[in-house]
Amino acid sequence: MNLVFTVMILVSLVMLIIVSPESAFSIMISGASSALKLAFTLIAIYAIWLSVLSLMEGIGLNKAMNKLFRPITKRLFKGESDLALEYITLNFSANLLGMGGAATPLGIKAMESMQDGSEKATDNMILFMVINSTSIQLIPATIIGLRAAAGSNAASDIILPSLLATIISTVTGVILAKLCAKFRKKEKEESKAQMPRAPLFLNIRHRSVRK
Amino acid sequence: MSKYILPAFIFIIILVSFIKKVPVYDNFVKGSKESITLILSIFPYICAVLIAVELFSLSGLNGYLAKIMSPVLTFLGIPDELCELLIIRPLSGNGSLALLEGIYKTHGVDSYVSRCASVIVGASETVFYVGTVYFSTTKVKKLRYAIPISLFACYFGAIMACLICRVM
Repeated sequence: MNLVFTVMILVSLVMLIIVSPESAFSIMISGASSALKLAFTLIAIYAIWLSVLSLMEGIGLNKAMNKLFRPITKRLFKGESDLALEYITLNFSANLLGMGGAATPLGIKAMESMQDGSEKATDNMILFMVINSTSIQLIPATIIGLRAAAGSNAASDIILPSLLATIISTVTGVILAKLCAKFRKKEKEESKAQMPRAPLFLNIRHRSVRK
Repeated sequence: MSKYILPAFIFIIILVSFIKKVPVYDNFVKGSKESITLILSIFPYICAVLIAVELFSLSGLNGYLAKIMSPVLTFLGIPDELCELLIIRPLSGNGSLALLEGIYKTHGVDSYVSRCASVIVGASETVFYVGTVYFSTTKVKKLRYAIPISLFACYFGAIMACLICRVM
């Protein structure tokens, strides 16, 4: 993130200095104020969804859903606690139904319960982010609405193509994330196994060969 | 049909809470109390991302990048007109919806380009936003391979979307 942020700002500022240096500050202010506006709307949206979540927890619905989806989530996110799996399940259901406002606070909670205290994201956290950023929405309601508003003859024709594209991108993401996790794990194990013990190992082997 | 799901869902939850004698009001307040603290902790991240996105899209850099990228995209089977959309998509949700509406206007809603654009937006997310906001309350500073893989999967999905739109 640091790299992306720095490069984006640096290059845009260079462009602005060439094109219109006087507008740079007002653009930054407008970015910050749209963040403020977004934050206020989000307070309202999250207030409702977090309340619904707390009501769901009150009647144990989150536990029931977790039990239902555990066979899948447990396999995808190996070694995570029940609490984390619960939030993951709820986040995925909200995403599937296209409720972005509900999915984000749940996703944040899921990340919180998955963290191991280090500054590096764990493999499971990355997998979770990848699935969330490839969109697993079943019906893209916002876009169908936009299309209908623009006067489309068949606004909902994009449901099936979107679903296919989403499945392809999510499956690609999951496979890549899993491959990366496996590759890193192997590297780590190999370096752990070889580095400190190598000389001792070699000695023993030489002796046994001579005998 | 789908418009009934949400109110019905909340109705059922509250009804079940009432039957189970769970304190509805107390639970509701407990949840909404979390909202402000959550926003307070994610606001700096949203702010930083939105400032960067605003600078990026208003500096005209977006247009230049789109020009540079267009031969690559044509090679991958993505229409030229979608360059800007593809660049903005992982950065800003509102920005990409605005571009999408623009594409509808200039090319007609039911054209191939517009359908491609709709599918691309519908089948992806704002990767950088997810990357900052989701990790915002954790100690994590290094996302390792999270963003490259997310971006790759999204763009691969976009290429597939254009292919699918050609057939369907």
